[in-house]
Amino acid sequence: MALQVPIELEQRLDELIGHYPEGHRRAAVLWVLHLLQDHYGCLGHEQVEWTAAKLQLAEINVWELISFYPMFTEVPRGRFHIKVCRSVSCEQCGCGSIFQHLREVLGVEPETVTPDGLFSVSAVECLAACGSGPVMMINDELYENLVPADVDRIIAGIRATGQVEAPKLAPLPPAHPLERRILMTAMAKPGYTGSLDDYLAAGGYQSLPKAFGLKPEQTIREVAESRLRGRGGAGFPTGVKWKYVDRRSGNPVYLVCNADESEPGTFKDRQLIYRDPHLLIEGILITCYAIGARTAYIYIRGEFAAGARILARAIEEARARNLVGENILDSGFNCEIFIHRGAGAYICGEETGLIESLEGKRAYPRIKPPFPAVKGLFNCPTVVNNVETLCTVPFIIEHGCEWFRNLGVAGSFGTRIMSLSGAVKRPGCYEIEMGKVTLRQLIDDLGGGTNRGLPVKAIIPGGSSMPMLPADKLDVTLDFDAIQAAGSLAGSGGVIVLDEGDDIVGRALSVARFYAHESCGQCTPCREGTLWMEKILHRLHQGQGRPEDVDLLMDVANHIDGTTICALGEAAAWPIKAFLRHCRADFERAAAGGRT
Amino acid sequence: MSEPLVKLTINGKPVEAPAGINLIEAAKLIGVEIPHFCYHPELCIAGNCRMCVVEVATLRTGPTGTPVLEWNPKLTIACNTTVVEGMEVVTHSPRIIEARRGVMEFLLINHPLDCPICDQAGECRLQELALDYGRAESRFVEDKEKKPKRTPLGPKIMLDDERCILCSRCVRFMRDVAGQDCLGFTGRGSRSTLTCYPGREPSSNYDLNIVDLCPVGALTSVDFRFQQRVWFLRQTRSICPHCSQGCNMVIGSREDTVYRLTPRDNESVNRRWMCDEGRLNYRLVNDPLRLRDPLARRAGSVQTLSWAEVTGQVASRLAALRDGGGDRIAFIGSARATTEDLFLFRQLAGGLGVTLIDVVPHEGPADALLLRADRSPNTAGALMTGVAAVPPGSRLQDIALGIREGRIRALVVMGEDITAAGIGVDLLGKLELLVALDMLPNAVTESAHFVLPGASFAEKTGTFINGMGRIQRINPAVASPGNARPESRILAGLLSDLGEPVGDTVEAIYRDMAHVLAPLWGVTWEAIGSQGVQLHVD
Repeated sequence: MALQVPIELEQRLDELIGHYPEGHRRAAVLWVLHLLQDHYGCLGHEQVEWTAAKLQLAEINVWELISFYPMFTEVPRGRFHIKVCRSVSCEQCGCGSIFQHLREVLGVEPETVTPDGLFSVSAVECLAACGSGPVMMINDELYENLVPADVDRIIAGIRATGQVEAPKLAPLPPAHPLERRILMTAMAKPGYTGSLDDYLAAGGYQSLPKAFGLKPEQTIREVAESRLRGRGGAGFPTGVKWKYVDRRSGNPVYLVCNADESEPGTFKDRQLIYRDPHLLIEGILITCYAIGARTAYIYIRGEFAAGARILARAIEEARARNLVGENILDSGFNCEIFIHRGAGAYICGEETGLIESLEGKRAYPRIKPPFPAVKGLFNCPTVVNNVETLCTVPFIIEHGCEWFRNLGVAGSFGTRIMSLSGAVKRPGCYEIEMGKVTLRQLIDDLGGGTNRGLPVKAIIPGGSSMPMLPADKLDVTLDFDAIQAAGSLAGSGGVIVLDEGDDIVGRALSVARFYAHESCGQCTPCREGTLWMEKILHRLHQGQGRPEDVDLLMDVANHIDGTTICALGEAAAWPIKAFLRHCRADFERAAAGGRT
Repeated sequence: MSEPLVKLTINGKPVEAPAGINLIEAAKLIGVEIPHFCYHPELCIAGNCRMCVVEVATLRTGPTGTPVLEWNPKLTIACNTTVVEGMEVVTHSPRIIEARRGVMEFLLINHPLDCPICDQAGECRLQELALDYGRAESRFVEDKEKKPKRTPLGPKIMLDDERCILCSRCVRFMRDVAGQDCLGFTGRGSRSTLTCYPGREPSSNYDLNIVDLCPVGALTSVDFRFQQRVWFLRQTRSICPHCSQGCNMVIGSREDTVYRLTPRDNESVNRRWMCDEGRLNYRLVNDPLRLRDPLARRAGSVQTLSWAEVTGQVASRLAALRDGGGDRIAFIGSARATTEDLFLFRQLAGGLGVTLIDVVPHEGPADALLLRADRSPNTAGALMTGVAAVPPGSRLQDIALGIREGRIRALVVMGEDITAAGIGVDLLGKLELLVALDMLPNAVTESAHFVLPGASFAEKTGTFINGMGRIQRINPAVASPGNARPESRILAGLLSDLGEPVGDTVEAIYRDMAHVLAPLWGVTWEAIGSQGVQLHVD
């Protein structure tokens, strides 16, 4: 018998389905699956068949999504599902003990449910809270800086009340003298709630009318001349990307905000979304105006459930004041912003993987060319921009490109929010002028130095996809060119510090496990090579290494590097190659059979 | 008007390629095979195997305005690269070989190496490319990934997920060609697994094409599973006799058993596909009930005769009926016979003064792809030779009436069970002479005074003319069982005994036929070749 979905639920789904154009309603499938799973607890055959019928898809089109996106499950989980992050920064600060403690306290193995149906525990990859690890999520809520006593308290609270308590956002510390806060200024004010009124009081929504006073081409030119580079990971010049938009295709132009922050070591987009949603909205509106888009989708990672609610509320606030929707501020410009929740997969942060996911499919990155600016979402010209990039746009429009070029250094103008995590006393987000602060200053002055009294051994400067830098590179300035000259890349700005007490082979294994887990599986080298690297490192870590494993590992990494459809190949290969190059002795010791 | 040509260089050789083709096709023009798994000329590009990598340089405008050749720093996949004027391509270099060896190694590390029990052995791209790009010894000492190994995908296909290299050809085919979007991948990364939704297995008439498409032994035909090693199969080019499409195919046989039919390329007819109904319709060739000897039936008892005896007796009985005057003999042939068979059949009928001659039409539902409503392979040949009435089958009622009213005393039936076409056994019982020329026993052969055992499509040569007027050749793959023989030889024997000798090979018969039948003027037997010739038929 077919599923009988409650009327209110179906109405809510119909509303969400309407966010996507006619003929592309498949794009609503992640929403449907999220809401059905929230209601029914899991996605069995009934839910799959209902969804397929509702969206006029083949059952396989729906079914193949459930095992691709880890937030979905075919079997029931506990009423309170606990996810513990196991990525490299959290591993560095002891997530293992939290995971172990949970298993003991609850008496449950991972991926199983306690007999009372209340709890289940999973180890997951990076939750974008690396500066406050160890962390865990219980349903939609995130708990940070955990010690076992916190776990006991939280579990007891749930047992007592039957509810998950939403922790308050910790206030941001005041700016350090080495910081140059621009994006982080308003959100750091004591009492700032991110509401529309707070944002207006902080001077928000003044750039938008200023942009309307310019022609769209002038707006693009302002951003192009600012030389702003994308803050997601690739550092591509934003104005150049906007110029590539094919405005003569006859198809609508789309803006997609990449809010899928999943690069281990990176947690700055989370701050922007959770603390100052209107800054992002204003940046989206200005960008849409510039590139001729009437619709923007914010693709927000599924784990940012609270963030999606915060953004939705902010959009409605904005709509009520004629800042979103038709004829914004009487400008004649219409713009709709829709939230699109992901369901857990790092590869959705790759711009064409994101687009495939947004269209309702498995997030398989596309072969490029064509690039999204020509053929992107729904085969229409599309710009995909990172959250922080979009949040920078209002300031450039407000103060002008010259002002922006007075910040930072040539090739890396402006400020950037660095995410600092790992073996430091004060992990967190720090907004600095690019090129004006060194790694050493970030770690010692801003970060308070290493936290175990041990010297720095390795620094990953741009999220776990980037090659490590050895300690003799600590005086590198934090800008694109200097980091590249030093042998790595600025990437996402996620700086992970490893000290001499860190087990490098273990960290390499953690990184390799991440990429093997996150590989979409589409192309041969990444699909097979990432898991092979994990297996070799696992053996090395367990004391089952062989002398030939070190060169073998390097060779496997070399066969993945440069041969794949998307950059996940490089992201998987480069860190391992760098660890092998700089810390070969550690690996040789492991290969000789010693436990590391 | 021909396509514009693009000039490029491949491995130092100049090539002129039609605009819009990719580098794999361009390289084929100069006989260079770029290895690949996921690419298929009939399917959209996936670009996931990464085997077809090449080095590419394109012309860019240099700083002084003159064109400069710029080599891509990364290797490029050839399947997704369109030819561009002035492009230079290298298909084999140490760097390229190294990259392909890397891909090959990756494909094999989790591969179960089932070759000793895998049907694909001998026609497996993984085996073939491993010869060029594989390692003699594996460096992989980890545990291989385990996946389901013996999953039926519907009744016709067996899926082994461990062998699958995730090229997605089958997914693209079912969705885009067969029109049944039923295959996909569950899981992620190295644990990705080809599957279909339970209860939604492939169920189109084209499923078995994915067995051909699968470059490895992940998808195998249940019908062929464990039946025969492919290197023992003789490959004979033929034409499917299931309908008037005339899909080009290959008969895979060993000694006198047909093991399978597979499609072969013909851009003008079936491209690279054939339908499952046609593909599986070969079992009648090896049916143990095949008629093996000429038979005579007299007063209830059946006697085996030699060919000389039966030909002599049938010829003299038919001659007597002809000489007795009146239009007393009728002929019913088959649009499943070759054109040469039908030509001789008509000639025999003509020499006997027969005016009532026709075939039995066979119709069925057509589909959107290849299967045509006309379920005979040679209706056009039957019409062209004058065996079929216009429209085919329209004279059968007259023949039935003639038998019922006693005017028709003799009936020669070739290859049809006419009791299913309105001439039942009661009518057959009234005939004083019933000659049945057929392959398998049926109600007609059971009533016939003389049974002449004929050949299947797999045992003879000749031509079929398909529903669009294309003449194509079939070829013999196996010998007929017992003393059965091709219809053309049987009919030649009868004609000879009646004083009208004809050519002693099918080719000679074709030549005579091509002199007489206007649409065949100038079309030689050689020209028909393996791809056929489009006739101009009004």
